[in-house]
Amino acid sequence: MRDCKGSRRVFLSWAGVCSLGGFRLFAAEPGSKPASPETKGAPGAAPEAKGAAAAAPQLKVGSTLENLQTAFNGESNAHAKYLEYAKAADKEGYAKVASLFRAAAQAEQVHADNHDDVIKRLKGRSQAEIKLPPIKSTAENLDDAIKGETYEAETMYPAFIEKAKAENLPEAVRTFNYAQTAETGHAKLYKEAKEKLAELKGPEGQAYYVCPTCGWTVKKEDFTFKKCPVCFTAAKMYEQVK
Amino acid sequence: MPLFIAPFIPPILPWDSIHPQIIHFPIVLLLTAPLFVALGIVVRKRGTCFAIAALCLMGLGAAGTFVAVESGEAAAQLATRTPEITEAIGRHQEMAETTRLVFTLLTVLYAAILFGPALLKRPLSPRASIIVQIVFFVVYAGCLILVADTGHLGGLLVHKFGVRAMMP
Repeated sequence: MRDCKGSRRVFLSWAGVCSLGGFRLFAAEPGSKPASPETKGAPGAAPEAKGAAAAAPQLKVGSTLENLQTAFNGESNAHAKYLEYAKAADKEGYAKVASLFRAAAQAEQVHADNHDDVIKRLKGRSQAEIKLPPIKSTAENLDDAIKGETYEAETMYPAFIEKAKAENLPEAVRTFNYAQTAETGHAKLYKEAKEKLAELKGPEGQAYYVCPTCGWTVKKEDFTFKKCPVCFTAAKMYEQVK
Repeated sequence: MPLFIAPFIPPILPWDSIHPQIIHFPIVLLLTAPLFVALGIVVRKRGTCFAIAALCLMGLGAAGTFVAVESGEAAAQLATRTPEITEAIGRHQEMAETTRLVFTLLTVLYAAILFGPALLKRPLSPRASIIVQIVFFVVYAGCLILVADTGHLGGLLVHKFGVRAMMP
């Protein structure tokens, strides 16, 4: 009988500790700010993401569904734009840069598809209005791509993620997170390409690997992991782009 | 269930958020198991009971590592990323997978040590049985560094990089 009472006491204290732990975890949740539409400064950036990244100075953060639609439009435009940039790079003889543009285009398509899935789950409708910018020299196209990716990675997606967390939409947080992480990687790859542009001239392309789940993009020499570092998809599922 | 208990029961979190709630269970189970292995060696009378208790703790702990790794991957997909955080998550995840593999193998090995001789109808002498269990204890205790390191890397993610699971 005494043992029985003891067990009950132990159980109650355990339950109390867990309950307190749960409360503390909830209290620590950073995304618990009241949801309100807001505007974030983004010098040299536009609300429609990369497609027109250099045109407008501010990002309007709406509801998560609206943000998903904005991101879907941006990713679809980026996909189309990078394919054009790849053609231009090929014409100029920068086959390695063309490979990078094609890999990034594939990653943007992955992001657009991911956003589209979540939009559909939220009973929304995805619509993209493709507006291609003027295609310039490869160096200028790389500058434009760096600007667009940096804007998305540092301004647009962090704001969208914050909003999705406040609205408690983990699926939206996941798709924005995937895109933000991949865009950070793209910006780095574009910057490297810009710095070594002269060395990249030549008719032979370069192999890149793109995650079909999150769009994480790596060069062949960095493709050394067994699982995607962002979404943990098996590396054997990665798609090669040249 | 008596109603007075209800306020004390923590909420069951969604899979994406459950990692911090469950991660401490396998750690404690795997750390406690060698104490029972030692008791199984030291206590002459009914030492087998302690050995079986140790096997149960190991089995539950190893099973817990599977849940921990899978829920950790789900939680990481929602974590705000920087290149440093991605690298830290990668190291934590790799170490967790190694821990899962090693402790699954150790659990199978301990079960083989306990039940193998009887199943094969080739019982070990008491002296040989104790030596095998001592060797196992030393190997197991050495492998606990993997649990400690995985936990440390998880702690760094939370307390150094500020990574939090998304709570509903």
